[in-house]
Amino acid sequence: MTDPQRDHPPGPSAGSAVPSWAAGVAAGLAAAGCHDVLYVPDNPLSHILEALRRDHPGVRTRLATREEEAMGIAAGLHLGGARPAVLMQSSGLGNTLNAIGSLLVPYQIPLLMVISMRGDAGEWNAAQVPMGRAVVPVLDAFGIEHLAVERGEEAEGTVLALAHLAFGTRTQAACLLPRRLTVPVRGGVA
Amino acid sequence: MTRFEAVRLIREWAPDDPVVASLGHPAYDLFASGDRDLNFYTWGSMGLTSSIALGLALARPALAVHALDGDGSLLMNLGALATIGNLAPANLAVFVLDNGVYGTTGGQPTPTSRGADLEAAARAMGIARTATARGENGLRQALAAVREAPGPWVVVVKVEESAPTARPPLDCVFIKQRFMAALGQE
Ligand SMILES: Cc1ncc(C[n+]2csc(CCOP(=O)(O)OP(=O)(O)O)c2C)c(N)n1
Ligand SMILES: [Mg+2]
Repeated sequence: MTDPQRDHPPGPSAGSAVPSWAAGVAAGLAAAGCHDVLYVPDNPLSHILEALRRDHPGVRTRLATREEEAMGIAAGLHLGGARPAVLMQSSGLGNTLNAIGSLLVPYQIPLLMVISMRGDAGEWNAAQVPMGRAVVPVLDAFGIEHLAVERGEEAEGTVLALAHLAFGTRTQAACLLPRRLTVPVRGGVA
Repeated sequence: MTRFEAVRLIREWAPDDPVVASLGHPAYDLFASGDRDLNFYTWGSMGLTSSIALGLALARPALAVHALDGDGSLLMNLGALATIGNLAPANLAVFVLDNGVYGTTGGQPTPTSRGADLEAAARAMGIARTATARGENGLRQALAAVREAPGPWVVVVKVEESAPTARPPLDCVFIKQRFMAALGQE
């Protein structure tokens, strides 16, 4: 039986090489002391889960049914002394707005978000575009710092710096993973 | 049994345990039953009370963590029951103060007033220890069972709406910092 506290089975990326950006995000989470990771799955995120499973056994990953719920669990983990992170797709940020606006921000509960982008360059699904475009304006509306990772080798440092900001100053911070990083277009049109 | 009477019984039964309370009347009644550092009052995030309590229970397995949820609030985040069933922390008890209405916003009926059964929902989501408590004696029995058998527990407490007599502090950061300090954090 899988352990629900460390529940990601070998995913689609198992066996194949973990991309450098995913290894970097995982290393940044571990180095920042984020030992409690909540997630709702997404394809690129599966590489991060795989990197955590493979390289960082001290990091627990737990599935939530909805990103808003993940933020509630993360808030409780923080009340108990943990440094939580939530991994989600950009669409999932839309599911979290009231958790951010009426729990995390007013109570100054720190959280690191890792957001796998959809709807940006390389997208093929029109239903992903409006929410994807809203991610940065939404984060700005809440005053949440965000940085996009442009190259794999930047990932660890970006995650670490955002985690310092979040947990050092009791705020929230978001690391954005653009689609051209996570799913490079290789020629032809979808 | 009114909601306030139920909240007071739960508070007296668990004088030293952290309690997370749902926004509006459940939190008001927790405050009225006796303010203390280990009360975490939410002023928003409707639906997330049981999730916040779940996170705390996972982070601090040595504590007995209790949630005071509302029926309308839990209905906004029913997936939480699946996650609690999945992660199954032994030290979590969720009390659903089920008055069949959105009491805080004027008493509009919730689906539980027409038969929606939150205890059955909890069981269906894999939570083995559940109860529906009616009346003070029913609640006392349920509380004794919660102390005896490891959780996670979901106890639906059937209550009548009652007008709260007091409000918790409004300063969210104050609520959080004193709660964390009482748990030995920062
Ligand atoms: C997301 C959101 N929707 C609606 C509201 C308005 N609201 C505040 S309390 C409440 C009712 C809560 O009902 P319940 O959880 O059953 O608690 P009760 O007041 O009945 O004790 C509602 C609808 C809100 N604060 N947030
Ligand atoms: Mg109600």
